[in-house]
Amino acid sequence: MSGGAGAAERTGGGMAREAGDRPADGRSGEQVAGREAVPARAGNDREAGDASGGLDRSLFRYIWRHSKRDQILICGVVLASLPLYFASLDLPRRIVNEAIQGHAFEKGNETAKFLILRLQVPDWFGGERLLFSGFDVDRFELLFGLSSMFLLLVLINGAFKYWINVAKGALGERMLRRLRFQLFSLIMRFSPDALRHTKASEVATIIRDEVEPIGGFIGDAYILPAFLGTQAATAMAFILIQNVWLGLLAAGVVGVQFVVIPRLRRELLRLGRQRQLASRRLAGRVGEVVDGIAAVHSNGAEAWERAEIGHRLGGLFDLRLRIYRRKFMVKFLNNLLAQMTPFLFYCIGGYFALKGQLSIGQLVAVIAAYRDLPPPLKELIDWDQQRLDVQVKYEQVLQQFLPDRLLGLDAPGRDDSLCGRLAAEGVGVQEPHGPVLSNVSLSLPLPAIVAIVSDGGPAASTFARVLARRVVPTSGRVTLEGHDLADWAGAALTRRIAFAGVDPILFPGSLRDNIVYGLNRRPPASGTHSADAKLLAEAHRTGNPVEPFPADWIDYAQAGVADARELDALILDWLTRIGMGEEVYRFGLLGQVDPERHPDLAARLIEARIAFRERLAAEGHAHLVEPFDPARYNRQATVAENLLFGVPTTTALTGRALAEHAVVRLVLDRTGLADDLVTMGERIAATMLEIFRGLPSGHPLFEQFSFLSADELPEFEAILARRTATEASAERHGGGMLNRIRRRWIGLGRYGSADATRLIALPLAYIEPRHRLGLIDDAFRDRLVEARGQLRTALDEAGLGGVDFYDPDQVCAAAPLRDNLLFGRINQSVADAVETVTATGTALVQEMRLAPAITRVGLDHQVGPEGRFLSGGQRAVVSLVRALIRRPDLLVLDGALSPMGENRARTVLGLLLERFGRENSLVAVLPNDRVADRFEVVLRAAGTQIHGPDAKAAPPAPAAGEASGGEVPAGAGVAAPAAAVSGRADNETGPEPARVEQDVRA
Amino acid sequence: MTLETEVQSLRQVPMFREVDPARLKLLAFTSERVHFADGQRFFDRGDAADAAYLILEGEAAVTLDGPQGPIRLALLGANALVGEMGILADQPRSATVTAAVPTTALRIDRRVFLELLSQFPQIAIAVMRELAHRLEMTNQQLAQTRAS
Repeated sequence: MSGGAGAAERTGGGMAREAGDRPADGRSGEQVAGREAVPARAGNDREAGDASGGLDRSLFRYIWRHSKRDQILICGVVLASLPLYFASLDLPRRIVNEAIQGHAFEKGNETAKFLILRLQVPDWFGGERLLFSGFDVDRFELLFGLSSMFLLLVLINGAFKYWINVAKGALGERMLRRLRFQLFSLIMRFSPDALRHTKASEVATIIRDEVEPIGGFIGDAYILPAFLGTQAATAMAFILIQNVWLGLLAAGVVGVQFVVIPRLRRELLRLGRQRQLASRRLAGRVGEVVDGIAAVHSNGAEAWERAEIGHRLGGLFDLRLRIYRRKFMVKFLNNLLAQMTPFLFYCIGGYFALKGQLSIGQLVAVIAAYRDLPPPLKELIDWDQQRLDVQVKYEQVLQQFLPDRLLGLDAPGRDDSLCGRLAAEGVGVQEPHGPVLSNVSLSLPLPAIVAIVSDGGPAASTFARVLARRVVPTSGRVTLEGHDLADWAGAALTRRIAFAGVDPILFPGSLRDNIVYGLNRRPPASGTHSADAKLLAEAHRTGNPVEPFPADWIDYAQAGVADARELDALILDWLTRIGMGEEVYRFGLLGQVDPERHPDLAARLIEARIAFRERLAAEGHAHLVEPFDPARYNRQATVAENLLFGVPTTTALTGRALAEHAVVRLVLDRTGLADDLVTMGERIAATMLEIFRGLPSGHPLFEQFSFLSADELPEFEAILARRTATEASAERHGGGMLNRIRRRWIGLGRYGSADATRLIALPLAYIEPRHRLGLIDDAFRDRLVEARGQLRTALDEAGLGGVDFYDPDQVCAAAPLRDNLLFGRINQSVADAVETVTATGTALVQEMRLAPAITRVGLDHQVGPEGRFLSGGQRAVVSLVRALIRRPDLLVLDGALSPMGENRARTVLGLLLERFGRENSLVAVLPNDRVADRFEVVLRAAGTQIHGPDAKAAPPAPAAGEASGGEVPAGAGVAAPAAAVSGRADNETGPEPARVEQDVRA
Repeated sequence: MTLETEVQSLRQVPMFREVDPARLKLLAFTSERVHFADGQRFFDRGDAADAAYLILEGEAAVTLDGPQGPIRLALLGANALVGEMGILADQPRSATVTAAVPTTALRIDRRVFLELLSQFPQIAIAVMRELAHRLEMTNQQLAQTRAS
């Protein structure tokens, strides 16, 4: 984040300088010009000096500021290419006239001059000067010479065009990258109020879709009008020279085009703006529904949501249709005006010609010149349309990123440790619906262990957030040793304060990634590889961060460890203490062991694998596990697993897709197994059709037991029916050998290849002892093992990879750790086999001391989007450990323990109370008094007030609390616990919480 | 031994005699076949009733722990259904069942069984008929005991 802000500052640098020249103070800024109204509003935001955080109000100014060098360069090249382009237009005429028709040889010349180079200079400077008098050539040589020159020019023009297009494209892409990055950086600076009104999916749409056309336009922003404008102006000047009246006429029509068409298009732009907003809202709404899909289902609001979206789409359709109609209406008018001019030329020009005021030659020349006028004009008008369109889009985007929606940039400030007297001075927080805190004044000595007991209102939680700097007070201030906390650098505060709220925010990634998220703050040194240099230069050019990524950003020093291994140990220590160690261990058992990342564990797993087998044998349980043996069919494993003898790593070899894999099919056909599998598939399909018929679709039994899903039943019924029909027809036509071959040849085999594939897919999941359909015999097993070897060879030859094969001496990286340990399949048909084997395995892991390494693998467990693969309690633990691992000076907990469940929450609280209070402080919001006596300092929320700190010996009388306000002497909080402990026993308020608890239970 | 032989066994059970073979096949398919070693417990008295067992091969003893060690109440042979009352009444096991010799049984999961009952009235009626029949028998026995 710091990188982002830094980059934004860099990009904002140029404009900040501009702003610096102008009066900085808001009021005079407003007087300078209307355009300056923005800096006035965001007076404290230097970056937003004259723009919203690096985004100018005008798109063209933005483009010019960031790409003027490129624009000028490209313009220069375009101009340089023009003479050659015109030369290539002129050459064909010369080839025809001079070489083919022989005009160059008219006066009986045998030869003509070729390649005469003349320097055209103004007459007053000596007129034309001959540089090279040319070669003498005959007709053929002239023809070939001119033709080769034409070819050369074509090549050169092509090269120019290529370069210009690439340069324009690159320019546009660079600007798009810059714009997207700037917008993203600005999102990071959204004020809490702006965030409350922002929908994630809408902002994502802005960055993804809405700025895309802007990027496409940027390459043409200056170049196209410059180029086409010159062209059009030349043509117009030519007409004017030929005849002033006709020229004025043409200019008049062009003027009308330029005045009327944009006017008509204004409505188009208004509609376009509406369309942009409507489709952005549609994206936002869809995002909302997807995020809240559980609520939609549980409330049965599907129909309502469908209707709502349908209504939106209807509105959008209406808008788009109106735009469409108007667009083509404008196009029609435009064409009409363009066609109108020749009519006027013929009519009026003809009139002049008849009157003798205009020569026929002039008229023809004017009409010819006019033919050159419309294409550039049309393109110019199109460009103008695009410009307006893009500008509207840009402004719409800008609306979301106005400076008043942004927080100021992080300025350097204090970085003192948060120890000393913390005081709230008249702190108030105003929410849209009214005050949440008003005029709260109190003081606390830090480090301390502080409880804020809630009265059920939002005050306690808000005050905790004020302390954690999650909420900035609307009035008053929070000071430490007399210094306003706002004087601290933002980065320093986020490092020194950790906050864990009631709904933890997790990102997709591993457990470890989420826990160390708060340590990702040390940008690694920029890479010095030459390969990176290009990327770096590009990042510089587009105002993007130059820090390497992906790289190790972890600040180990902040966690107080030396390296990744120690950090893992520290994380595991916390997780174990909090009581999630067992769960992470189980994640580890299901996790994958990458032999390169965990070489020690990989080696020990092989050792453990052998020990496991021996131990099972010693306990007389060898029959419970059927090990993977390259030379034997594993009866407890599926047909597919026996065939592959490994774990697929691509979807092309996973599940039913295996039946469609070309290499697999080749081997199956070669070994004749395909026919067996089709027969098996047939029997499975028939059995499933028989026994699952009549169950409603979506019934849980389908999912759990059937080889077919409910909606597949009719399909397979049809497949089987087709077979019966084919067989019947085969019967009718006689079953002779020749006939069978003929039928197979013309595709009338028992099954079409698609049907066969579908049938082969079914037995892939078949396990004889479990499904008991009696489909597999010893011969089949032997042939399958044979095919296994062939398949492996074939797959290796194909060189596609995709399978991590089982090898008794190697770890199978794609298989879960547990399977690697077991290296076989449990015999499910023995009662209690799983329990027995698990017990043996657990004992073995204990004995070999593998648990820590396995738990470490568990840190790689993926938490899923928003941590949905974890339970609420687990998410809360991850969020808490994320805060703890940073060793903050101040840890603020606002309901962070409540999702953990009562027992674990109590353990965790005990742990925290033990760890905090000496060097660092803990502030926790408590829902009631029940555990408040374990805290040194107790603050109480009442309405919009926070009372305290309690002198715990005395019962918390509201009046006393109010009076104590900020006048409690420093150190009172420290003295309080001792008093509380001694005073508790005979205090009447003491047993009250317990009594309440009893009441609740009763 | 395949699904077909299990279906044959299920048909021997009075409770399932009237049920459509396709449904019995579904019941067999959704159940697991498990082997118990000699002396291995099916379940203990007081355990949660999570499944019923149909003995396919072998014998199982139903016992209650008495002061002088286990008292054998019955010895069940092939085609006997055990534990079905527990899963219907959702009550803990009332007795302990142990394999007397190496035994193979079909484990009918409670959840799946109830699922089938609610889905196919034919099976539900067959079960009700059997239960009513048993109640009738018990009533008669009670009457006889009272009379004597």
